[in-house]
Amino acid sequence: MENRVCIVGIGFVESEPSVLGLSHKELLFHSTRKALDDAGLERKDIGGAITSSYDFLEGRSLSNQYSLDSIGGVMKPCDLRLGEDGIYTLFAGYMEVMTDPSKFVVVASVQKASDMGGPEGSTYPKLVLASMEPVFSRPVCSSIPNVMGIEAVLAAMEARAFMERTGLTEEQLAKVAVKNLNNNNSGTKKAGADLGDVLNSEMLSWPIRRLMKAKETDAACTLILGSERKVRSMTKPMVFIRGIGWCSDQSHLAFRPQGVARETKGAASQAYKMAGVQHPDKEIDLGEISDWYAHRELMHCEALGFCSAEEMGSRIADAAFEKAGALPINVSGGLLGRGNAIGTSGLLRVAQVALQIRGQANGYQVPGVGVGLAHSWSGIPVACAGVTVLSKW
Amino acid sequence: MTRKVAIVGVGMQLFEFRKKETVEEMIFDVTRNALENSQLSKEDIDAVVYGSAADAFCGIHNSDKVAIDASGGILKPTMRNSTSGSTAISTPILGYTHVASGLFDLVMVICYEKMSENLAAQAVFSTCYDETFVRPLGLNVPIQCGLEARAYLHRYGLTERQMAKVSVKNRGNAMSNPYAQLPMKLTVHDVMSSPYLSWPVKRLDTSPVTDGARAVVFASEDVARELTDDPVWVKGVGRGADSFWFMGRRNNDLGRLDYAYLAAKQAYDMAGIQNPMAEIDYAEVYDPFTYKEMQHCEALGLCPEGGAGRMIDEGISLKEGALPVNASGGLQGEGNPIGAGMSRLCWCYLQIKGQAGACQVPKEVNTAVCNGWGGMFQYNAVMVIGRNS
Repeated sequence: MENRVCIVGIGFVESEPSVLGLSHKELLFHSTRKALDDAGLERKDIGGAITSSYDFLEGRSLSNQYSLDSIGGVMKPCDLRLGEDGIYTLFAGYMEVMTDPSKFVVVASVQKASDMGGPEGSTYPKLVLASMEPVFSRPVCSSIPNVMGIEAVLAAMEARAFMERTGLTEEQLAKVAVKNLNNNNSGTKKAGADLGDVLNSEMLSWPIRRLMKAKETDAACTLILGSERKVRSMTKPMVFIRGIGWCSDQSHLAFRPQGVARETKGAASQAYKMAGVQHPDKEIDLGEISDWYAHRELMHCEALGFCSAEEMGSRIADAAFEKAGALPINVSGGLLGRGNAIGTSGLLRVAQVALQIRGQANGYQVPGVGVGLAHSWSGIPVACAGVTVLSKW
Repeated sequence: MTRKVAIVGVGMQLFEFRKKETVEEMIFDVTRNALENSQLSKEDIDAVVYGSAADAFCGIHNSDKVAIDASGGILKPTMRNSTSGSTAISTPILGYTHVASGLFDLVMVICYEKMSENLAAQAVFSTCYDETFVRPLGLNVPIQCGLEARAYLHRYGLTERQMAKVSVKNRGNAMSNPYAQLPMKLTVHDVMSSPYLSWPVKRLDTSPVTDGARAVVFASEDVARELTDDPVWVKGVGRGADSFWFMGRRNNDLGRLDYAYLAAKQAYDMAGIQNPMAEIDYAEVYDPFTYKEMQHCEALGLCPEGGAGRMIDEGISLKEGALPVNASGGLQGEGNPIGAGMSRLCWCYLQIKGQAGACQVPKEVNTAVCNGWGGMFQYNAVMVIGRNS
């Protein structure tokens, strides 16, 4: 098939909880410069630019306008800004390239929430109330007495529903955190943690403990997309986008089933259909998926078809999702390990899978990755997820 | 492989200063209206695209996410776009791309804004400005537009009187528009004596703060032909933006909108239009301020550069004129709920289909152009639609 879409350039800046030395604009400039260098392209080659950001996290309206200069998008033919998780820029970029295969499209995302609230993850919980429908949901949620804010309580609710349905225990959830914290090779956490560290960490709202929730961080990520026929003459290893899918579940918590990630299942089913994947647990070699909370990694594994609820306990016991296991998940450390640059982390998941496929994941490479899956979830209280299947061929 | 894409229906609702309906209810109403007008049900829709300029107006972060149910988006792919005022046209372009890429056959595009949920829209606008370099200057939208209007009038020797004629035209046109917020029977004298917001921009040169939504249904060629004998095709799309930073702009003359000319050129090249003055039958251009209609008519090639004064003086853009512009009333007369400026596209569609009611222009309309503008005065998005010639 001549007209598949490829990832031809990858660049990112991952960081400590707050990057004092670089501005929002500079972060994005550096990740774009890296992506251009990686692809062997220059600003003049860019045919379109797409970014995504959340105004309320950035602290300014029309926030993604700020990004235009940094991504080489000034006076370019496509200029599109989304108010979604960063992984959606890949989907919009894919559609742009399919519509006009003559262009290289830059897709990018930056997050510098530390400008707003500091490194202790204090920004997002305040935002959760602002995300809620104001007539019925907000008044109920704002009256809940938890000093950690409503986010922890909502996360706990869904974790408990998930545990009740599947029979999983706190300890099994904690093992996800241990895995990802130990997988991390750079980022916001000290290297490694054991089960005791996780289970003794501060309780946010049972069963959610401090080390089971990803800490906020700053980051920027840029990918460059091109059509297969346009990139054929380039000499670097190509990463093909074989399938994409995204999906939104009901708006209101009150109506939504808890403890099951229907949005992930919907997104995956579209992506798998496009990619021709029928048995994801066998056909996917590696996954980078949203582990914003430890329980969420497992919920998404189920929704992605990596294992059923019944099998989950034994898969965890068999270390199936560890780096050396049958289906490594989040060998980069994921969000728990590297930190959650809210929004941008979604695009970083794609970058991580692409690096694995290229064989360039220095220090944490899994051998023989031919087909990988990147997934992102937009966070409590919304139910939106995106999935992409990437491959070497 | 780029597929042909058609518009098969639009959804309308009244624009008002303050709608009783919530964001969800506004979206529900307009989606329902679009489905009825397209003779479709929500199950037929493959994907939903939302456009809204600033969540800060309605005070809901990710405001589209509270309306998944209301827009028929449950368990469907949904995506939200936000490019300030040009959201009005860049969002339907995103909807078009969903179909043109081959991924989806039927896409519902919903643009909305609820600007009344705050004490002062201008205060919300000010949250756009860069806090280090620009906010200390004390700029706001009327002041910026005053500067831009002054540069424009000066560059081409145009007058405030000509601006006033645009206001008279559009607010008068709005009297035929059942969805309009500000139909007004005015004289040039009325406009000229209205108070200055920031010279030379006066109150009656300025569109209002508005709540409202619009919807458009895009379909692939096969599906469009099943639904109608008379599809209206998307013929050309264009988008362009200059740098956000005043101090680094490519064009430092606010009078000439280089990025708008760029967007128009892309759209016309795609549509195969070489002489818009002759080949465009009708236009709905973005007119948050009267001088913007004039600037956009020039950038869209509907009159020669610098010729917008003559265009309005000679009645060319009147409803019964040779190239009618904004027979719906435009933003001046219909209202300006920032994201929902997609109304410009809706009215182009209605004029082509002969369904514009009392706003219908007397001449035959086969090809129309619309645009959206916004941001820090540097985004533009253009769409050309029409029947097969």
